Amino acid sequence: MKITFPYMGTTLAYKKFLDLLGHETISPPKPNQRTFDLGVKYSPEFACFPLKVITGSYLEAVEQGAEVIVTSGGHGPCRAGFYGELHRKILHSMGYDVDVIVIDSIRRDFKTVMQNIRRIKGKNSWRKLLWAARLTYRLIKALDDFEMQIQTKAAYEVSKGDCWRTWDKIQGILENIWTDRELEAAQKRCQKIIDQIPIREVPEEEKIRIGIVGEIYVVMESSVNMQIEKVLGDFGCEVRRSHYLSQWLDDNVMPKFLGKSREEEILKKGEKYIQIQIGGHAKETMGHIVDYRDQGFDGVIHLMPFGCLPELVCQSIMPKAMEELNIPVLTIALDEQTGIANNLTRIEAFIDLIKNKKRKRISRAG
Amino acid sequence: MKVGIPKALLYYYYYPFWKKLFEVLGIETIVSSSTSKEIMDKGIEFSVPEICVPIKVFTGHVAALIEKADYILVPRMVSILKDEYFCPKFMGLPDMIRYTVPGAAEKILSPSIRSESDSISDPKHYSEFVDVLGVSAKELRRALKEAEKEWQRFRMLSKQGHVLSDIYRFLEEKEELPEITKEEDPFQVTIGLLGYVYNIYDEFVSMNIIKKLKELGVRIITFEMLDEGEIFRSIRFMRKRLFWTFSNKLLGAGYFFYNNPSVDGLIHVTAFNCGPDSLIGKMLELDSGQYEKPFMTIRVDEHTGEGHLLTRVEAFVDMIRRKKIKMRGALNHENNFSIYGNNAGL
Repeated sequence: MKITFPYMGTTLAYKKFLDLLGHETISPPKPNQRTFDLGVKYSPEFACFPLKVITGSYLEAVEQGAEVIVTSGGHGPCRAGFYGELHRKILHSMGYDVDVIVIDSIRRDFKTVMQNIRRIKGKNSWRKLLWAARLTYRLIKALDDFEMQIQTKAAYEVSKGDCWRTWDKIQGILENIWTDRELEAAQKRCQKIIDQIPIREVPEEEKIRIGIVGEIYVVMESSVNMQIEKVLGDFGCEVRRSHYLSQWLDDNVMPKFLGKSREEEILKKGEKYIQIQIGGHAKETMGHIVDYRDQGFDGVIHLMPFGCLPELVCQSIMPKAMEELNIPVLTIALDEQTGIANNLTRIEAFIDLIKNKKRKRISRAG
Repeated sequence: MKVGIPKALLYYYYYPFWKKLFEVLGIETIVSSSTSKEIMDKGIEFSVPEICVPIKVFTGHVAALIEKADYILVPRMVSILKDEYFCPKFMGLPDMIRYTVPGAAEKILSPSIRSESDSISDPKHYSEFVDVLGVSAKELRRALKEAEKEWQRFRMLSKQGHVLSDIYRFLEEKEELPEITKEEDPFQVTIGLLGYVYNIYDEFVSMNIIKKLKELGVRIITFEMLDEGEIFRSIRFMRKRLFWTFSNKLLGAGYFFYNNPSVDGLIHVTAFNCGPDSLIGKMLELDSGQYEKPFMTIRVDEHTGEGHLLTRVEAFVDMIRRKKIKMRGALNHENNFSIYGNNAGL
């Protein structure tokens, strides 16, 4: 049984998990124009952009021979929770005989979730499953740790492109680990490579830090967000995202009794703007903006798929929130109409504004 | 003290309830006037451009009431069925209004509805009323009970097969309810009209599609006329139901219409960029071929183009009527205007 999965962020970790369990996995290619075209052609016209991209990447995986799709479910009330069902329907109506395994929230439907986990476990022992999960978790932690370092260093690299080239190299190295010991050795090696990237010294008061918040798919998947982290790095900005895979796992998979999660803290911060959880990541988005302000970030870029239900609520609140929090926020809606030049201009202007504001503040202080 | 009730969104489903509730509590209410160009423009001014038209309409109504009322009813609709919700925009509606309409922040009255059925009369949703409006808990309980009774009466009228616009004319202006056309005439065209109450019954948004269909002699069935049990039975085949109760009702009604031989065709009225509808519309469209029933989508937004709506509705009804006539053998040859062909996605 050839397994595939939706493409989001550092997919080598998902592949690793399935590989460790001895499955034959097919990683869909990183979303590109062809993926978008396929997705747009076969998805509902007004569906949200992530659904279309994922449709496209499933189709590409199926072309390569994938027979089973493993994806996470959701409990609403945003459309993302229904992706699995709709994708199944689309693929079947196109005549592809693929099986879509949707791992739902265990609280919603315990029996089906256990059944699905058993299917992924296959003939492996429970011990092996746990071992694979643990190793994958450590791998994801390591990946996120390196990525954050890259996101910081890219702002100050001496020769352009160094950092993101290194990031590709690191992913290549971490792709080939099979045991805990190999992972540790690889981590040391990667750290050394990162430390070797030459950077210029920038005084603390001139550093610019930008947070990226919004809907998880467009925040995490660089191919649909115009590689925004790279763009910001080239403008000399340090970047942090509101979503990292390891945090998502901490918040959604780890049992609650292991301690108060960071998510709760963030939600608390967002409460002033959106009182209850309204689905998707709307409340988190507001919470993260407050959090970035508290951490002293200089600006926030809010990414959302066009027509995203929960993020539209955020966007409505944004003008007032910006005023109250005194932090600039730029909202960018993304979809298959990739107006890259237009968006790049907006980002550049936004960064210029932040730089000017900062310079003024410094000169006034001096 | 005056409480303003915006004539938008779930006003069309719950107004008799709210009206009675405030009446018994002895609180004066004011309802905004029907959606007009001015209200629409206000709504557009204060909301994000890409949000759906019903939310813009609601924003406009709040803005129209802001000067006239001391409080404005902006309910936070969370759920009316276990494990199901409303669209995120309903759940975040008070938050959105608070930060978009100038002057609304202090005037919002937002009961938080987390019910397990359509009935929203549990006093625990309305605890805010006790603090803000200064009514006693006992009064509130009594008023809610009466409101519930009134609302059930209103729902009964719907289930008898009356469209909401007729019911409101009956309740508010004491006009007589029109007789319900029985299905005796073999050439009577019956159309299942799918769409949320706030799109279909807002005459500005839907360009009064109800009246247009009635003038064409069409019998209309909408989801609120059907029994809940019946609706949910017809989507039992789905492995995972949608998260939105009203969308489930529309979908259920859609499949009910597909399975019901007395319904000749379906018209789906949806707002541009409506998230839930982007899924249910596609599902019904994909299945329309299988059930051999024509399905048409009418997408509405703040731009009005009444001419095109009339043309499409007329053409759709004509097509169905001709098909009916032909099937009964009243038309013995096919002329130049073929009624055949794939009409999905018209």
